[in-house]
Amino acid sequence: MRCHMSIETAIRQGLGGSLWPAKDNAPKQQIAILPAMIAALNGAFDDISKAMKLHRVWVALAHEDIGDQHRRTTLGPLWMLVNYFAFVGTFVFVFVTKDASNPSYIAYVAIGMLVWFYLSETITVSVSLFQREASFIQGTTLPLFVYVMRLTMQSVIRAGYSLAGCVLILLLSGYGIDTNWLLSLLGLLLIVLATPAFVMVFAFLGAFFPDSEFIVGNMMRVGMFLTPVFWVYSGQEGIQKYAYHWNPFTYFLEGVREPITAGIFPTHALAVTGYICIGAWAIALLLLGRYRKHVVFLI
Amino acid sequence: MTSIKLNNVSLVYRLFEKLTLSAPGRRRSALGGNIAKAGTKQVVQALDGVSFELKAGDRLGLVGPNGAGKTTLLKVLYGIYQPTGGTMSIAGKVDALFNISIGFRPEATGRRNIVLRGLISGWTKAEIEEKVEEIIDFSELGDFIDVPFKAYSQGMAARLAFAAATALDPEILLMDEWIGAGDAAFQQKAKRRMDELAEKAGIIVLASHDENLINSVCTKKLTLRSGRVESLHPVVKVPSRKH
Repeated sequence: MRCHMSIETAIRQGLGGSLWPAKDNAPKQQIAILPAMIAALNGAFDDISKAMKLHRVWVALAHEDIGDQHRRTTLGPLWMLVNYFAFVGTFVFVFVTKDASNPSYIAYVAIGMLVWFYLSETITVSVSLFQREASFIQGTTLPLFVYVMRLTMQSVIRAGYSLAGCVLILLLSGYGIDTNWLLSLLGLLLIVLATPAFVMVFAFLGAFFPDSEFIVGNMMRVGMFLTPVFWVYSGQEGIQKYAYHWNPFTYFLEGVREPITAGIFPTHALAVTGYICIGAWAIALLLLGRYRKHVVFLI
Repeated sequence: MTSIKLNNVSLVYRLFEKLTLSAPGRRRSALGGNIAKAGTKQVVQALDGVSFELKAGDRLGLVGPNGAGKTTLLKVLYGIYQPTGGTMSIAGKVDALFNISIGFRPEATGRRNIVLRGLISGWTKAEIEEKVEEIIDFSELGDFIDVPFKAYSQGMAARLAFAAATALDPEILLMDEWIGAGDAAFQQKAKRRMDELAEKAGIIVLASHDENLINSVCTKKLTLRSGRVESLHPVVKVPSRKH
């Protein structure tokens, strides 16, 4: 009984709001949605600004992570380049023999694999981010965004090796460096810009819903076949039509690929990518602002 | 002026039942504190109306049974947990020794780990450069400092952790259990450094089950039970008997 009383006292003092379900205050909560959102955004920006000041922490930790993953290997991080070549080679020369000699198809698969592996790996590992960082979250006062940037940085470094491989393949396929590459770079920048938001959204999903780690992992595995990574959409009906048009990953891929393979400015793809980026950031900021202090109790 | 002031601080948090497909009986985690029901929700009263005041030179020992709220209180003081009730004001630079391996990477050398620990603690590049050799000297690790951390014994790891945590002379040092590892000579050395810290107008808060340790190290003792302060009084120093 004493316990009940003391908890209620804490709530009456108006101090338990963030961790306590205030059932009786539903109408008040509706009125207070806007201030709550503003408070959440302020909290998120505060966390992000503190994390950006600690950039040396996440840059150092990301480099250590990459180093640790390949510490005892002969090739070291070059294994990421080898993996990339192995996948592109397999899809180009084994699975799709008909188009294997077509340079534009080789470029299509090379760029598709670069973007897909980056997104797929980042999203898959994001789901368990807070669980993996549990000892830090429970033992230090580092802002949560530090862990988000640590993973983002790690993903970007890993993708850097694949990017080097991709550039090499494009050059060997006869695609000289021209202004279209700059447009592709714009698509890549948008993806990198969206990455911390994706990491946050999926990390919070994993914290609240642990089973999502396996659900997302499986979805990303299946997603490769439902995304135009190695298959080409040329107006077919049926599942390919829906998989192409209703799949957000299509636009991330096309935004980078179209300038080089089709020589066009990917207006539609970049616009959709931009909208997804803004939407992901909006959700991520609200989640970070609202739940950053709760994560320590969830992991 | 270094100080800690807590007035009626409480920590109530909801036991989040994670959305999961597993059987309901396996959903809840076992945590300390009082568990209460509020409708369908379960909440934990981890701290309940905790009040005390510490000033420069104080060494507070936190005692109490498992689940009494000692570690929770330390984490509230450090800023990991946000109190849900009461007021808290802390003046001074806080550092903590909760988990000796926190921030230490097994594959990195001791030297690299000092740099990483410094970065995580928010040290500047100049502070890290200035303190590295001092930490190495204090830890007495010698050539082992350039060996990967995973090769260290518990005692060596504890030496490095303690040396790093106390290198920047934190004004307020929070410790969850004394550094148990390390030989008797290092224990004495660690105690001397703790004394120096306290003398340099610092505050130490040490949570421990070892009453003798609390009595020898601390100047005040706070007993927690079920998240509430049961007693708070000065430690009466008993002169050690000479053999």
